Amino acid sequence: MNSLVSYDWLSEYVDLKGVTPDEFARRMSLSGPAVEKIHPQGADLEKVVVGHVLEVNPHPNADKLRIAVVDLGKEKAQIVCGGSNLKADQWVTVALIGSKVRWHGEGDPITLEPIEIRGVKSDGMICAANEIGLFDAFPHAEREILDLGATFGWNVGAGSPRPGRGNRAPTPGSPLADVLGLSDDVVMDIEVTSNRVDAMGMVGMAREAAAILKKDFLFNSSPTPPLKLRGGAGGGVKVTVSAKKQCGRYMAAKIEGVTVAPSPWWLKRRLLSAGIRPINNIVDISNFVMLEMAQPIHTFDAATLDGGIDVRLSRVGEKMNALDGKEYAFDDTVLLIADQSKPIAIAGVMGAENTGVMSNTKDVVIEVATFDPVVIRRGARKVNLQSDAQLRFEKGPSTEACPEALARAVELILELAGGKLVGPATDVRQGTYKPLKYSVTTDEVTSLIGVKLAQKEMVDTLRRLGFQIKTTGKKITAIVPWWRDHDIEDGRDLIEEIARVYGYGAIPAVVPFDLAPRPMDPELAWEKHVRDLSAGAGLTEIYSYSFVSKDLLAKAGYDAAGMLHVQNPLTSDFEVMRTTLLPSLLQVASENRERFAEQQLFEVANVYYPTGEGWTTLPDEQLELGALFVGMTDPWRHAKGYVEFLLNEMGIREYTWKRLSGDAFWHPGRSVQVFANGKLLATVGEISPKIAQAFKLDRVALVDMPLETWIELATAAKSYVPVSNFPEAKRDLAIVVDHHVEFDDIARAAVRIGAQNTLPVKTSAEWFDTYRGKNLPEGKKSVAMHLTFASQERTLESAEVDALMEKITLTLKEHFEAEVRG
Amino acid sequence: MQDQLNALKLEVEQAVAAAKDAAELENIEIRYLGRKGELTGLLKGLAGVSAEDRPKIGALANQIKVQCEGLIAAKRSGLEDAALSNLAETEREDVTEPGVRPPEGHLHLMTKAINEITETFEKIGFVRTRYPEVDWDYYAFESLNMPPDHPARDEWETFFMDAPVSEMGKMVLTPHTSNSQVRELERGEFPVRMINIAKCYRRQSDATHVPMFHQFEGLYVDKNVSITHLRGVLDYFAKSFFGADRKTRLRPFHFRFTEPSFEIDISCGVCGGSGIGADKQKCKICKRGWLELGGAGMVHPNVLKAAKVDPKKYSGFAFGWGVERTYLMKEGMQIDDLRALYKNDLRFLKQF
Repeated sequence: MNSLVSYDWLSEYVDLKGVTPDEFARRMSLSGPAVEKIHPQGADLEKVVVGHVLEVNPHPNADKLRIAVVDLGKEKAQIVCGGSNLKADQWVTVALIGSKVRWHGEGDPITLEPIEIRGVKSDGMICAANEIGLFDAFPHAEREILDLGATFGWNVGAGSPRPGRGNRAPTPGSPLADVLGLSDDVVMDIEVTSNRVDAMGMVGMAREAAAILKKDFLFNSSPTPPLKLRGGAGGGVKVTVSAKKQCGRYMAAKIEGVTVAPSPWWLKRRLLSAGIRPINNIVDISNFVMLEMAQPIHTFDAATLDGGIDVRLSRVGEKMNALDGKEYAFDDTVLLIADQSKPIAIAGVMGAENTGVMSNTKDVVIEVATFDPVVIRRGARKVNLQSDAQLRFEKGPSTEACPEALARAVELILELAGGKLVGPATDVRQGTYKPLKYSVTTDEVTSLIGVKLAQKEMVDTLRRLGFQIKTTGKKITAIVPWWRDHDIEDGRDLIEEIARVYGYGAIPAVVPFDLAPRPMDPELAWEKHVRDLSAGAGLTEIYSYSFVSKDLLAKAGYDAAGMLHVQNPLTSDFEVMRTTLLPSLLQVASENRERFAEQQLFEVANVYYPTGEGWTTLPDEQLELGALFVGMTDPWRHAKGYVEFLLNEMGIREYTWKRLSGDAFWHPGRSVQVFANGKLLATVGEISPKIAQAFKLDRVALVDMPLETWIELATAAKSYVPVSNFPEAKRDLAIVVDHHVEFDDIARAAVRIGAQNTLPVKTSAEWFDTYRGKNLPEGKKSVAMHLTFASQERTLESAEVDALMEKITLTLKEHFEAEVRG
Repeated sequence: MQDQLNALKLEVEQAVAAAKDAAELENIEIRYLGRKGELTGLLKGLAGVSAEDRPKIGALANQIKVQCEGLIAAKRSGLEDAALSNLAETEREDVTEPGVRPPEGHLHLMTKAINEITETFEKIGFVRTRYPEVDWDYYAFESLNMPPDHPARDEWETFFMDAPVSEMGKMVLTPHTSNSQVRELERGEFPVRMINIAKCYRRQSDATHVPMFHQFEGLYVDKNVSITHLRGVLDYFAKSFFGADRKTRLRPFHFRFTEPSFEIDISCGVCGGSGIGADKQKCKICKRGWLELGGAGMVHPNVLKAAKVDPKKYSGFAFGWGVERTYLMKEGMQIDDLRALYKNDLRFLKQF
């Protein structure tokens, strides 16, 4: 979570004299919370000054406009102004030429230029608060300019306008940013890790800074007057905690007779620096204490409460309107603050609308409590509501933060809103608090950091962070301060504290070079190779989601029932852990079909097969390759060629192709499978036209390859067959056969003839064309091939080759009723 | 005879001079010098020459033959040169037309990223491993020192499988690659020098989050491993992956399975770590000169214990970063919506 931290505010709790914000940012980031951004305050108020209105004259050409003569110190300016509340002797904000303002508080800031308004020259602009970004600080009606004198009760003192520092008006012409105390301030955007709720408050951040920068920590936690506490239900507010497990501590105090009013500027300014909008003094004080001490506080209008407070779990069907104006309904798991008749707050998240502090509130009940972080997180999530308080509560503030925060809130309310504390404060807690205690040895510290530090330095660091330390020899024993009772869990955490404050930047970098302890898993090596080969062969690689929709599977003819399902899918698009890559490939091809008529795609990814009944064991994650070819002539031929290429490149030489039919997914006439050692290597072919159509694709061929078998058989080893020293004889042969006759059988027959020859002749048949149609009888096809003959012993005579050709045609005729085509 | 020979020579000289191309020359050669040519014909009359003159005439005939052959060869070469000198015109092609390319395939950005990351860590002796993507809660959370009520274990953060709860807890889609830590440690082989790259899943889908993404997880466990080694390895990675001029820094952070935990920042490659852009304004890419790379830390003793490794004997560090983010940072690519990586629009894929 990020905190917005005013440098000026932080300086109240830690001595930052001589430390620039930049240096603060650099050093803190290396040892503690990281300063991500620095926003100068008052930068938007450049060339905006305080002016004193000397006289107001009518505008000659407009009823709603008037001409003010304004004292700007060194000069007097004539300014045309439409402010409804403009009057002489008023203290106003003047935007000079060159400043940036928002017209009527809307749109982007524009740079003010010399202007004539209805024929009268204007040397600047008298601003409404919303025109210079101060609406939240000084809300106003439309067309009302900011009346500084009335707002601050000037005669008000220059410099830091805090109560009790005089009420003199500033010198006319003073920069507004100076008057508001913003000029020298910056707001830092600081990332605080989730385990450090204490550092989400100014005091905690100051404590960090004091330790890291070795500066004095200035915070004094004794409020005036000291707060009297009464345990159990005996305090000024009657409290019952029914949900004991979910509420570690509940404190409440009642103040009667407050005056609800806008907060003074110093308080508004603190809230604004943290990005919180001021509302009224009571609410602002709650927020202020939360920002200061990281302990959320809630205040109720005492008059709206019916009897004592109960901290309990919600009841099914119970409802409440929260301060955001929305209605929330509960099951039985949300922690509520309730009175005798109704919920008055979602504990730790937000109060009820009808129990909040309003402008006419007279008596308030202040709640300071600690809740179970998990119940807060889950409750907020369940009702889908977030708040500044909840963000802190779910990080687990200490029960020991409560008394200090309550005392501080009471102190500020009495000071700013008046009223009287009724009786002692109520304090209901579960059990007693025992500080945590851990120890670590100097050797452990040194060996983990890798740098030798003196024990004194270690102890000093821990003490500055608030730990109480005892040393016995090399052993350091630390009592954990309450504000760290959530994140310090053992001795190891003490090492982190020492290391980070020492500075990670000061620790040298040493690369531990060595040989890899074992060779890479062959599956990973071959997987890389297959991807490289595929891209090299002209395919484009896709990455699709491992989880797919039931619809997609159904569209491709798969039943999701046997597949592993996600219990809490993000949407039904990501519901089923796929056992096949093919539907995703079809979907991708379909989505791209209008821009790319021809596509060659592949994906290598895990699929998830069941390993038994009912998913009591983890799925079998199998690496598979899927490929898709669409848009070329005979896509199945490209698909098969790709697999042949992979077989060759991966050194798999023994395999057989078998026609595949009877599988509804695949085209019954154009699918084939390749096996090695009886194991399936790949299914290749066109898919059923019905499925292709469902994806709006024309003829499309797919490849489905379980890579496990491939990787088992793949080899990088090469074998060598001596090349013949004698020239080969080449002949072409075209035969007409029934279209069921397959080339593989023809080729095998030809090869056999060569092998059986008296002088063995190595014969190979290379397919080059198949023709069906015109000039051929129905059901016949013409198959053309190159035949190559070679002997290892001598050059073949032409007559010998003729004889072989003769034998081959005869055999083909005998086996396949093949006719030689002239 | 002598005159006849000289006349023949003159005739050849004239014919050669007049010849316009190689074919004409060929004809001249055949006609005068060929086997059945005029020179051969003339020499048939040699029989009628006195024995005394015969050697003289013979020598002359031979001399004329050689001379004629020379003439023809010279002319031929001249004609060839002339023809070649004109190639620029006669065989001119429009070379701005495209060439015939070999098939052009494309590896996905993630494959390229994974290859590069693997190679970088291989060089210092880390071995790539593979562990389940669907795993038990025990490996994904419990053994990593994450308490049962940790937010990451909530159903709105992590995908759970529709499967019965086992002794190892629920079955989950791994939300990080860290499930490999205890699995690798359980092998009981030291030193552990692992780089595990895998798909991960989280219940988030917006411009900067994809429900499926990739992480790489490094784990180094041995005797006497300290923060100095973590700094060394991560600094090495940053410099070899992003460039030798880049700097790194460690910042304190908080993770359950490491203690201490760090966030690694790398100096911004755009503003050179100054935090000030070319336009003298704040650099728009980084935070005050630094970019967040990812998380790391010293392996928590509880994680070692979960894998039955004695934390008094062994120590180590681990890191786990998003591949997508890291790779896009390297390439300086601004992809407005990370989901584009898995949308598989060919217009996108074919750019890489």
